[in-house]
Amino acid sequence: MTTTVELVERDAAVPAAEALRTLQEVLDPELGVDVVNLGLVYAVTVEGAAVCVRMTLTTPGCPLHASIEEQVRGALSRLPGVDHAAVELVWDPPWTPMAMTAEGKRQLGFL
Amino acid sequence: MTHPPGASGGAHPFLPVSALLGGALAMVVGSAWLLADPATLTSYLGAPTAVALTHLFTLLCVTLVYVGTLQQLPAVLLVTDLAWTRLGFVALPLLVVGGAALVHGFAAGFRPGALAAGGLAVTVSLALVAAQTLRTARRSPPRDAASRGLVTAVCYLALTVAFGTLLAGARSSPALASSVGYAPALHQTTGLIGAFLLGIAASGHKLLAMFALSKGGSAWRVTAIAWLVHACVAASLAAALAPVVGWPPAAARAAYAVATVALCAAGALQVVEVGALLKRRLRKRLEAPVQRYVLAHAFLPYAGVLLASGHGEAAVVAALLGFVGLAVSGMLVKILSFLTWTAAFGSAPRRAAPPPLLRELARPRLEPVITVGLATGAVLAPLAVVTLSTPVAALAGAALLAGAGAQLWQAVTVVWRALGPDPGRPLEAVTTR
Repeated sequence: MTTTVELVERDAAVPAAEALRTLQEVLDPELGVDVVNLGLVYAVTVEGAAVCVRMTLTTPGCPLHASIEEQVRGALSRLPGVDHAAVELVWDPPWTPMAMTAEGKRQLGFL
Repeated sequence: MTHPPGASGGAHPFLPVSALLGGALAMVVGSAWLLADPATLTSYLGAPTAVALTHLFTLLCVTLVYVGTLQQLPAVLLVTDLAWTRLGFVALPLLVVGGAALVHGFAAGFRPGALAAGGLAVTVSLALVAAQTLRTARRSPPRDAASRGLVTAVCYLALTVAFGTLLAGARSSPALASSVGYAPALHQTTGLIGAFLLGIAASGHKLLAMFALSKGGSAWRVTAIAWLVHACVAASLAAALAPVVGWPPAAARAAYAVATVALCAAGALQVVEVGALLKRRLRKRLEAPVQRYVLAHAFLPYAGVLLASGHGEAAVVAALLGFVGLAVSGMLVKILSFLTWTAAFGSAPRRAAPPPLLRELARPRLEPVITVGLATGAVLAPLAVVTLSTPVAALAGAALLAGAGAQLWQAVTVVWRALGPDPGRPLEAVTTR
């Protein structure tokens, strides 16, 4: 089942939906698909000028985690009005290929 | 930023990267050796040159890649930090030096000094690696069949060398031979089945699912493979000890039959498991190295047919070069890409340009040469053993050399592309998906 992203805003400097759109710039280097369409992003919370993304990776202990986290923080930090970006990495619920969006599956040639 | 503890805590990338490059180089040396002396395959396979060549392949190629990978893989599979992350700086050089001494000792006509020194170094090296893996597993006990299988396979790897050292001792000491027997089959079974088949089955269960985006295979099959491997090794041990403890020859034959049945069942289950993983995959077109890993499993039935037709030695050659060789080769390129990419781009400061994709580190045009070369060599080498044809053995050597040469070139390319002076520079258009 495709992941549903929870969007939370409290006195938000930027809309959470815009922050989510920005994350489509961040690619998984193994698959070449962005983290949103892979279904890795579970929630985006914007409180004032701070953005926190709760997300997972395709496998626990993924050796690529540092780079993906860095790219996510970098993409969010470039948003106007954002002065703090954080990533919370979780393994529950675990990612499965079914979490991908139709666009993600299309990019990988499944559809 | 917050993340679960130990998301990825392997050793310094220099260790696995150098081990994987060393393994690729050893494959080139072994193939060139076979091409230069193809009669090695068509004469007695217990002869010094054949034993030396076998150990060059198993120790300095397969085991070196295996141990290098173990400096990262347990941390990924067990989701914890690797214990004693600098232990590899001792274990890997010991393995290389000891392995080289063993190969030299065998090639020089079973020279006792070189064999004793090499055997000791390799035994200590693999005991250290086993201790490191067990310590890591103690920090985060394996929660699935694949992780348990990998930890067990590492123990079998250390046991294989211990059996090999006993074997070498028994060869030169009649007293030792009379007390522990002389059982090359036990050494081979523990290594080929316990360490390599179980290791490939366990790690492959996770890695193939990850690379093929599969919804997963069946954990019970991996568990069953592990138990069949245990049964195979136990029965081989019983067959080896039968003459020592005075069991009748019929008991030894029965134990050998049990070992063979368990071995065939484990191999068949592994083929079924890979088929199930592929059937449930979302990524329809696999990358070339992953295709090579899958192709490796075609050599299990090939080895089975050879075994059933009474060509046990050819079956071992097919299993080693075809199944183990191709599986290791496929994972070598994938794992090297992950390791070097992570080292180059994983925790680097923010860059103006996004990092390359992993597949952009390799040269796609080398992949068919690697796969066709290694697979052709692995088909021809057992045929050379069966037919005693030196020209076929030479052809096998040439094919293996072509594949191994392309593999080394690919490995160096990946490392250079990620860690060289201009990391991330595009090599060529990549269309793999």
